[in-house]
Amino acid sequence: MSHWTPELLSPAGSLEKLKVAVLYGADAVYLGGQKFGLRQASDNFTYEELAEGVEFAHSRGVLVYVVLNSFLHDKDLLELPEFLTLLVDLKIDAVIVSDLGVIETVLSLTDLVVHLSTQASCLNIESAKLWQQMGVKRIVLGREVTIQEARKIKEATRLEIEMFVHGSMCMSFSGNCVISNYTQGRDSNRGGCAHSCRFEYSLDFKNEDSMENKKAYFMSSKDLEGIRLLPEFIEAGIDSLKVEGRNKSHHYAGTISKVYSEALGHYKKHGHFLSDDMLNWESELRKVSHRDYTTGSLDVYAGVDSIYNQRVDEDNEYVVSGIVLEACVGKHLLVDVKSAFMPGDILEVMPFKTPIENLSVTFLESLSGVSLPKSKPGSVVKIPYILGAEKFNIIRKKA
Amino acid sequence: MNHSQTLVTYVRNIAELNFLAENHNPQVKIELILGTSLLSRFFDNSEHELIELLRKARQMNFSVTLEWDVLNQEDRFLKTIQLIEKLPMHDFFAIRVQDPGAVSFIKEKYPWLKIHLILENGNHNLIGLKKWSEFLGPQLDRLVLSNELSKELLADYSKALSIPIEILTFGRILLFYSPRKLLSPVEKKAVHDQTIEAFGTSEESPHSGFPLIENLHGTFMFNVKDLYLLDQLQALNEMGIHFLRVDLRFDDSFNKFSKTILELFAGTITEPEMSLRQNNPRPLIKGFYNINKSDVLFAKLKNKRTQRLDDFYIGEIVDVERDQQLALLVKSTHWDLSQLPEVKMITPEGKEKILQFTWVKSSLGESVKSVEQNDLVLVPYVNGVTVKTQVYLNPKT
Ligand code: SF4
Repeated sequence: MSHWTPELLSPAGSLEKLKVAVLYGADAVYLGGQKFGLRQASDNFTYEELAEGVEFAHSRGVLVYVVLNSFLHDKDLLELPEFLTLLVDLKIDAVIVSDLGVIETVLSLTDLVVHLSTQASCLNIESAKLWQQMGVKRIVLGREVTIQEARKIKEATRLEIEMFVHGSMCMSFSGNCVISNYTQGRDSNRGGCAHSCRFEYSLDFKNEDSMENKKAYFMSSKDLEGIRLLPEFIEAGIDSLKVEGRNKSHHYAGTISKVYSEALGHYKKHGHFLSDDMLNWESELRKVSHRDYTTGSLDVYAGVDSIYNQRVDEDNEYVVSGIVLEACVGKHLLVDVKSAFMPGDILEVMPFKTPIENLSVTFLESLSGVSLPKSKPGSVVKIPYILGAEKFNIIRKKA
Repeated sequence: MNHSQTLVTYVRNIAELNFLAENHNPQVKIELILGTSLLSRFFDNSEHELIELLRKARQMNFSVTLEWDVLNQEDRFLKTIQLIEKLPMHDFFAIRVQDPGAVSFIKEKYPWLKIHLILENGNHNLIGLKKWSEFLGPQLDRLVLSNELSKELLADYSKALSIPIEILTFGRILLFYSPRKLLSPVEKKAVHDQTIEAFGTSEESPHSGFPLIENLHGTFMFNVKDLYLLDQLQALNEMGIHFLRVDLRFDDSFNKFSKTILELFAGTITEPEMSLRQNNPRPLIKGFYNINKSDVLFAKLKNKRTQRLDDFYIGEIVDVERDQQLALLVKSTHWDLSQLPEVKMITPEGKEKILQFTWVKSSLGESVKSVEQNDLVLVPYVNGVTVKTQVYLNPKT
């Protein structure tokens, strides 16, 4: 018997990351075009990449949602219809929108399915009812909502409900922070956020008769990790679990998709999460770059322990060594090098469905067979084959 | 001051109410915003104090609106509704709401109560504004628009919409609203519902002294400069913007400035700027009123990347071994190699090279006759071609 599980929705910051997320187990991916989305730093898709990505995902039964979640201005809306026509032609599965003008434009011109972005900060039943009347089919709830509240929203509206299960979090109510707009001249609701909430501040407290000064990273949030709460998500009937991070690495896209899909796969088969693998899954989640984990407001409203009172630390436990471009059985792997490694190094290959394997670099060659002392990022090299390795597997190394 | 304009301002206590009653010129239209700590971000009145203020203000013939601008998750929202249901809603001229949940609730449960819809976050397009107007119909009495709209847009919207518009003309600019309590943990006191105020400065930001407030509803950060558009009353009037909000709730501003503001709206003074500038704790700015260029980055992004010409696209060079070969990652779905093709290569610098592939081999050195998407093949070395060069079938062949 197969047990119901929510959709696992992974970020696809680029075509390559889309493939990684799909192959590592995402049920759906979300991505941005060249305009209209909120992630200016991610390698947003050109039309052709979008076409390739949709074909790649759909041929593997994976859905594709396109983000149009900027708060668009009038002049942007003039350009939107042309893009919508392309999305309709590509048969994408939904658009993710936060602005009523965009919803109206999408619904008046196309029959695309509209998901309400978390940017719209939908927090309660009444709000969900309003957006339902506006024509949205799914709501990505604000990250401030608990799973139990989400369940009530779902029960009251029968709308599809999506919640964030993993990734970085805005400290503000989404869509309610314009720090960058006024301090950097960049619209944070149109992809220009300068992450001012991650800065250290010197705080002067106004007391009755004195000023007290303290320094703190007081408005920086820890990252969300909801793996332990998967039973609650399932029990509440949450339709989709979203992973934040279109700007994050291949390693991130692959690891998070693999871990959550394995966990959900376990539940699908056994109807519970009582698995020895839970510790393993958690340990894998710690290997990708993050700022300490919290369950945010999934269980109870986020409290003091959700604040990340330290400098954002880019030290990663693991670095991605490369992506497998070809696995020539019994002979070699061709690897697109992302960071340098050397003969003698022990690398780890992340297969799509099976446990991580160690790979000893007994030889390192150029494509013409010349031995190399070190791999160079941006090149392709030959290393030994390892059983189970496949095209698009991530290869990593302990930092 | 043109008497078609209304001064919209907050009143927190009886003393402020009395002051306005005693000092305001009856020809000046004033609308008072009242609130209570559970419904409003920055009011700390109890429900009882609110009702008392409302009663008095009505006796004084003021037009009174109720502010419900907090954003609430479901469980907190239910508590808020319980309070709303206890209030004498018929005595309010209108209710000011931002959360779509509050909008929906009022529309359904109080269809006779006018709505002043706060659209200060986003809502920078006419299609959306019109949709809100259509959705709320005659119940919508006013749109409270964002301070990020330039004067051109405000004028356009005012012309295109039949609904009156309100904007903030003097006061703090809210930058950030979080439901989490962020100051009390630093102050090392237990997290509580009392109000804490502070000023934040970061070495990573060119600005210093961001006012911060933590209260029952979470944490708020304001800009280091306050908004000042009171020298634009005439221009705003000409645009058809008749509801001008002045926020004197912070920094003892009510005591310092209310008289001057009343005089300005009565037309007995024309230029309060000097007095406000001298006495306001922060510099004053016009914000985005003159021009909003915060989307420059957004515009730059357009067409930043080279577009692929997919009908003829083959793939991308991913490795170059000088004088040996190039590694080509095939991106097209299928590529028939029974005839070796003429190709056009476009380097990242935009240089074009047209040539014939004399061979195409696998990584084992074997000749290949057809390849699929994501296959890697080796092709002859071409001088000047680097990684990320895009490869196309030459359309002329
Ligand atoms: S500065 Fe922080 S809180 Fe504000 S939009 Fe950016 S990430 Fe969110």
